[in-house]
Amino acid sequence: MSYEFSFVFPFLLVTLIMQSILQKLGKSLHGWRATSIIGIISLLVCIAPVGGMPLARWLISLNANFSIPLTAVLFAGVWEKAGGKVLFDRKTLSGFWLFGIVMGILLYPMALGLGVYDPYSLGWKFSLLFVVMMVLTIFLLLKRNPLGIVLMLCILAYHLRVLESVNFWDYLIDPFFVIISCLRQSSRLRAALLHQKITYRQRNNNGGNSN
Amino acid sequence: MNKKAVFLLILLTVLLYAWPPGQWFHTGGTTAARFAEILPSSSSIHGRGEPFKEEEFISAPGNMQVHAASIAEMKDNTLAAVWYGGQYEGSPDTQVYFTTRAMGKNWTPPAGIVNRASASKELNRYIKKIGNPLVFTDRDDRLVLLFVTVSFGGWSGSSLNLKVSSDGGKTWTRSQRLTLSPFFNVSQLVRNNPLRLTDGGFVVPIYNEFIGIFSELLWLRPGGGEQAPVYFKTRLTWGMQYLQPAIVGLTPDSAVAFLRSRRANSRIAVSFSDDTGGTWTAPRYIDLPNPGSGLNSLPLSGGRVLLAFNDSSTRRDNLSLAILKEYPTEHTERAAILENTPGEEFSYPYMIRSSDGKIHLVYTWQRKRIKHVVFNEEWIEKNLNDE
Repeated sequence: MSYEFSFVFPFLLVTLIMQSILQKLGKSLHGWRATSIIGIISLLVCIAPVGGMPLARWLISLNANFSIPLTAVLFAGVWEKAGGKVLFDRKTLSGFWLFGIVMGILLYPMALGLGVYDPYSLGWKFSLLFVVMMVLTIFLLLKRNPLGIVLMLCILAYHLRVLESVNFWDYLIDPFFVIISCLRQSSRLRAALLHQKITYRQRNNNGGNSN
Repeated sequence: MNKKAVFLLILLTVLLYAWPPGQWFHTGGTTAARFAEILPSSSSIHGRGEPFKEEEFISAPGNMQVHAASIAEMKDNTLAAVWYGGQYEGSPDTQVYFTTRAMGKNWTPPAGIVNRASASKELNRYIKKIGNPLVFTDRDDRLVLLFVTVSFGGWSGSSLNLKVSSDGGKTWTRSQRLTLSPFFNVSQLVRNNPLRLTDGGFVVPIYNEFIGIFSELLWLRPGGGEQAPVYFKTRLTWGMQYLQPAIVGLTPDSAVAFLRSRRANSRIAVSFSDDTGGTWTAPRYIDLPNPGSGLNSLPLSGGRVLLAFNDSSTRRDNLSLAILKEYPTEHTERAAILENTPGEEFSYPYMIRSSDGKIHLVYTWQRKRIKHVVFNEEWIEKNLNDE
């Protein structure tokens, strides 16, 4: 199953790119007809043989295990552009990026040799990682947070072995997810700081004018 | 989401985490298995005959660069050896070569069993180069091959792959990728002999060379055919210094690891485990030099360990044997010089003991050929006594 599933992320990525380009050109993307045409073209692009293998597998050569949360965010983006309901609002997406940053900090430095302990070892078989993720999933579901559903899909995907990896961490997070999380959160932080600066200046100007 | 939906999702979550049944009660510990290959407790190997040493080349001369050989013995005493060769290290024409020698016969002409194209086709991804093969046999006498591939970058971008042969190397299963790192699954390499476990699995010493330089252990049941390999990984060292570990089982629960140091002008380091490889002591140096090159180890009778190494802190132009004894003081004694030609390279030794008690050593000879030296413990003792 992991070979077939490996086409999902590249397919969604190509679809999103095509949607973004068409949107910039002012084309309408809404409706099943437009979505189907874009989907078929994306599929053909992904399976087109390049250098003896489908184009999608070139992306997989770089990273064979795109995490379920990142795939879900990509799917939500495609769905929204196709005119569907917004699956993840701003607050939910912020939660995704925070999850990516926290998990990235917990995993990557130590997995790459910083310190004697390797947190990646928790993902090979049932461990504290599974307990923590179960509790987090249930908490988010009780809060009706869509990230809870995505985390539930992570454990389902792990049991179905849809990725090449047999380690649970790789279903929860991947390097691209962490990088995108950092970029999105830093741009939100910059925007918030800029907004604060503008608001402060406006207040000061109003205060000066009143004198 | 209404309350019913939330309840159902929570129930599904609990069921998914509770599957398979009973896993909540089987946590902790690295493995229930113990080391099956340990130091011989008696001198049964010693004293089998006269000192014996023989040497030959098992790869033909040519323009190809060859490197990183490994050797194994199958049940009918047939030896199997692998190495990688090409125009230069990591060149596009590099292949993993395989040869066998049945008892009383010559080595078969080396045949390429893995190359860039075949690895790319079987793994369904772009492969830039291949290298570092390791061959060993399991208890069903199947040959297990681990080899390194790189899709992007240099050797620090390596990933490990697995093939199995049930017919003495005539045919092999499709290559299977092992996912061993969360960071693009890169920088997992292999070099030295695995240790057998009592449950039929293996602990294979591996190492990482991306950002961190450290040694790890791959716990592996190879699978084969329809059966997928079962594996996980544990840490042996950490930081940025020790790689290419060579491990020897001391008792069913303890082992010693010999480590190559990344530092220039350095020495061989050792680390010990007494919980079947679960945890290891901080590495400390022994009194043998290491020029940042591979070394190998083999258990000898009398509680000793044989080391094959470059006896220099700067050069690979010699290859020697030494004996480590009297744990934990790590007292070493040089046993023999196998090669010593200034300016040349003799590197990456790999040893096994065959069922007749002889020790087989293969190594890179001037990057041009793979040399095979066979000797017995009596020959080592004779060298020690002569010195």
